[in-house]
Amino acid sequence: MLKSESGPLTAPLRPGGGLERWAERHLRVLMLAPTVLILLGLTIFPSIYMFYAAVHKISPNPDVPWDFVGPGNFVRLLSDQQFHVALLNTVVFTVSAVTAEFLLGLGLALLLDKYIRRMTFLKTVLMIPMMLPPIAVAITWKIIYEPQFGVLNEIMYRLGLPLQAWAGDVDLAMFSIIVADVWQWTPFIFLLMLAGLASLPVEPYEAAELDGASSWRQFWDLTVPFLKPVIAIALLLRVMDALRLFDLVFILTGGGPADRTKVLSLYIYQVAYRFADVGYAAAISLFVLFVTIVLSTWFMKRMRLAE
Amino acid sequence: MTTIRARSRTREVFIHLSAYLTIFVALVLTLFPIYWIAANSFKFDIDIFAVPPEWLPWHPTLKHYDEAFIQRPFLRYALNSFLVAMGTTIVSLVFGTMAGYALARFSYPWEWRKQISFWILSTRMMPPIVSIIPLYLFFNYFDMLNTKSALIVAYTAFNLPFATWMMKSYFQDLPVELEEAAMVDGDTRWGAFLHVALPLARPGLAATAIFCLIISWNEFLLSLIITLTEQSQTLPIGIAGRVTQYKTYWGEISAAGFMACVPIVIFAFMVQKHLVRGLSLGAIKG
Repeated sequence: MLKSESGPLTAPLRPGGGLERWAERHLRVLMLAPTVLILLGLTIFPSIYMFYAAVHKISPNPDVPWDFVGPGNFVRLLSDQQFHVALLNTVVFTVSAVTAEFLLGLGLALLLDKYIRRMTFLKTVLMIPMMLPPIAVAITWKIIYEPQFGVLNEIMYRLGLPLQAWAGDVDLAMFSIIVADVWQWTPFIFLLMLAGLASLPVEPYEAAELDGASSWRQFWDLTVPFLKPVIAIALLLRVMDALRLFDLVFILTGGGPADRTKVLSLYIYQVAYRFADVGYAAAISLFVLFVTIVLSTWFMKRMRLAE
Repeated sequence: MTTIRARSRTREVFIHLSAYLTIFVALVLTLFPIYWIAANSFKFDIDIFAVPPEWLPWHPTLKHYDEAFIQRPFLRYALNSFLVAMGTTIVSLVFGTMAGYALARFSYPWEWRKQISFWILSTRMMPPIVSIIPLYLFFNYFDMLNTKSALIVAYTAFNLPFATWMMKSYFQDLPVELEEAAMVDGDTRWGAFLHVALPLARPGLAATAIFCLIISWNEFLLSLIITLTEQSQTLPIGIAGRVTQYKTYWGEISAAGFMACVPIVIFAFMVQKHLVRGLSLGAIKG
């Protein structure tokens, strides 16, 4: 930690041109400035502009001036059934997918920690899904779920179970999306948990062993508290990610059947680009941004991750 | 005594067995879908639609690769993806490395370093659907829709914070004494960064670059909205375009989808060592 605190003044300034010396003296600002400016332009400015768009009615015709409607677009959210459905779907997806990924990932890490620690190659193989293009994951599962010739129904048939329409079935569509997401992202939780377990100190466990603590007690009293920061980061990242789910839904179900998988980002996409109602889409986006900020701030405070 | 020992040995064997069985099952579940898309890409249509499915491509063919990459413009899409990913990576790496170095080494008044670090990371959490509408209007205004430069600008929004944080943590792991020695020998602060810190951070630069490439290569939503023409669309959009309401070109999308995965798998093995650090940041993906 200390070494990163060391300032720029340990060496005397070399004589040189005026501009060069000026640049050298302000290096700490100059090196940071491009990134800060670019990010200001690409995130803060759009957010403000978004707010500006959200209080207007924007016609698809670019020659028609924007019509100021004040909070109208936000009020509309309250009574928009489609929005409520999308919100509910997003919550259902986020809670189920993240819970499943977390339990599976943590369980696997606890069970396999000692076995897989040195098997770097194997670990990397297990990590492949999370690095693949989501679009490739989506079409892979589309092929697997295909009702007529899909391999999943073949397995169901062999097991004597009823065949399903999977992504096309009203009751199973969301489940199908969740399974594909769990396939892609469980490795992520697994990887983070393995890293967390690898950094556990040994001594407390030896002491607990001497005291005759059961492995269950050791898990709850030692492992869980030690892992807490890693768990918090993993959950935070997955929740943020789940809230913006788009690719899988877009390819696997297109939001259907009967809007059962229509999630918020897909709804925003439809409102903006199919119904060309950009002002209202901006209002929904702001809602999503607001929820994201509130959730992540609350979560970080709760988990004391402020730094 | 002996029975207890025998029983605990049985238990141990049981635990070992179940662990290896779990690894085996996890491997099968991980690899089967990837195998399946690869296998389908080498099958004739009639075998893709076969019931029961052909578990192995018994009559392998490159027909779908020919369709996708020779007859259809998937090569063009892949090239676009590659160019956009390269552009984004270069921009993010250059500025991200400088910012990462500044945040790792310099002190700023009023806790600014902490604030700025945190703000940079938090921009990464912004859902892309949120910034897409203003960006779309912005690109529209400047006549940049359907250009690769628009994609590079948009992708930089989520690769730059990532590169900054990756490089910041790499520089923090380097001993500062080497740069101080260089400055005592008469090098400037900038010279010490260029000649000492940067070469030492080479593994970090490589890992960061590869993660940036992967993130951009995988991106879908922004490209879907910003690009509509063959000259600018990326591979994921090209693939999605072959899944239509009326017909899905299974063979073609399998071939293209599998080819989109290949570079990623190669990269994954190249950055094995950096996986955790990179992905925990990289997972705040676009």
